[in-house]
Amino acid sequence: MNITVLYGTETGNAEMLAEDIMADLAAEHDVESRNLSDFGVEEFDRERMYLIVCSTYGDGELPASARPFAEAMETAKPDLTGIYFAIFGLGDSEYHDTFNFGSKRLAELLSASGAEQIGERPTHDACGSDMAEDLALPWARKVVELAAERLGEVA
Amino acid sequence: MTKSVAIVGSGPSGCYLAQALLKASPGLRVDLLDSLPVPYGLVRYGVAPDHQGTKAVTRQFERLFERQGARFIGNVIVGKDISLEDLRTAYDAVVLAVGLSADRRLGIPGEELEGVVGAGALTRALYEHPDADPLPALGPHVIIMGNGNVAIDLLRLLAKTPDELAGSDLGPAPSDWLARSGISDIEIIGRSPAAQAKFDPVMVKELAKLSGVTIRVLEAGASEDPEAVKKIEALRSIDGHGSGPRRLTFRFGLTPIALEGKHGRVTEAHFRSAKGDLVALPCSAFLKAIGFETDGVLRREALIEGALDAANGVLAPGFYATGWFRRGPRGTIPENRADAQHLAARILADLNDQPSTSQKPGTVQLNGHAVVGYEGWKKIDAAETSNPPENRCRVKISTRAEMLLIARQNEDPGQ
Repeated sequence: MNITVLYGTETGNAEMLAEDIMADLAAEHDVESRNLSDFGVEEFDRERMYLIVCSTYGDGELPASARPFAEAMETAKPDLTGIYFAIFGLGDSEYHDTFNFGSKRLAELLSASGAEQIGERPTHDACGSDMAEDLALPWARKVVELAAERLGEVA
Repeated sequence: MTKSVAIVGSGPSGCYLAQALLKASPGLRVDLLDSLPVPYGLVRYGVAPDHQGTKAVTRQFERLFERQGARFIGNVIVGKDISLEDLRTAYDAVVLAVGLSADRRLGIPGEELEGVVGAGALTRALYEHPDADPLPALGPHVIIMGNGNVAIDLLRLLAKTPDELAGSDLGPAPSDWLARSGISDIEIIGRSPAAQAKFDPVMVKELAKLSGVTIRVLEAGASEDPEAVKKIEALRSIDGHGSGPRRLTFRFGLTPIALEGKHGRVTEAHFRSAKGDLVALPCSAFLKAIGFETDGVLRREALIEGALDAANGVLAPGFYATGWFRRGPRGTIPENRADAQHLAARILADLNDQPSTSQKPGTVQLNGHAVVGYEGWKKIDAAETSNPPENRCRVKISTRAEMLLIARQNEDPGQ
């Protein structure tokens, strides 16, 4: 499958996780990893599956590299019907009122444009004891499998 | 021949720079020097011990050394153990990323009184920096002067109950010091109105989780500016919070003009209000959280003033600066990341323009000086995290001597 891992990052943690996911899937799939800051909303391609990794910054805000993308989604309102995405959030439960609002916001924007979310939106807690990749790699494999079924392909 | 870069300082700015350099040019030799035997600078000694999520960036920095090929050269003071000139002779590019660690002075009478303490000095003591002064006695009534995130960190830590520090890496001695502080009142004072305060709103909102305090916000004012409105709303949201014994009071628009004392110790702070009124507030300690400046060791002023292109971090050909050392004491970790990424592109372009016949060795000769490498740091890290006290994620080794001893354990004598 052709997979694009998109990341929204402020300190680089989501970027590192996106690269881990790309490396893990690369043996069986054609995978690229791209910063949301360099990704245009017109680039969405129905031949690809999109995995999104996004952190939260400040008071429940999107990380810097995801902000231009979110603004473009709001103004361009692209029709993303037929686009499949899965999303993984990074957050810090020290700020429980806004925990993982960044990934939540992106998921809402994509769904509102007609894109279909595959699987739940798992979240990693920077204050917890789990390593982000220990949660994200099994998640990525699973959602890619689910997407393959939807797209009628063999994973 | 492989090009080489030495980065002085292994805090976030230095590490992000190394990361960006090695990502774009994996074959580059990148050495990070640090005056301490341990890496990560501000992440270890400046980010608050109860903000472990913020410290998670160290996982990226570990990869620098474990996968990207950067070398850690700890326990080397540039300017003492090796000169800057020798370093520039040894590497194709040298970058100063040493930050700013000295507390800015107020420049008012009474600043030398006992009980007047800089935020940097106090946080170094609280966070167990090897060069820290002993923890000072604060007494019951603390004034924190300043409205940045460091001021809020201090306010929060001084206000927390021992239970609220669970999960942090605050050490046993500082934890005990906090538990026995006897502080009843903390006043946090800004020179500017609340609209111009420098703290992030989320830092203020976090104070609403404190259980042992009563919070009052005096004269937060109003603003039309959306960013200022967020700050004022955050302050309003915590005004009246709690009914605990420790009283926290926010005051704005007060410029300190003098500190008065008795028997050599501060007892009262005098301010001028925006309207020109004189205001006197009693205090047993006066903490200055008004920013940082250079400690003077690397002659920052002269370097920045004489820089070839200070805006882009170029001090001289092959000689650069990044992070707070270049920009001044403003901006959080992500801003320093952006600064480092910008400089990395410039350095790589400059290296590319250099003649490829460069014969710089890309390594330092320290003549028997005890260097701590990444392996040594991992031993210290393991010693700190393998058996921390209850409710702590780490117990820091707090002296250079002990750090060096642990780093050298089981070392191959042939090295």
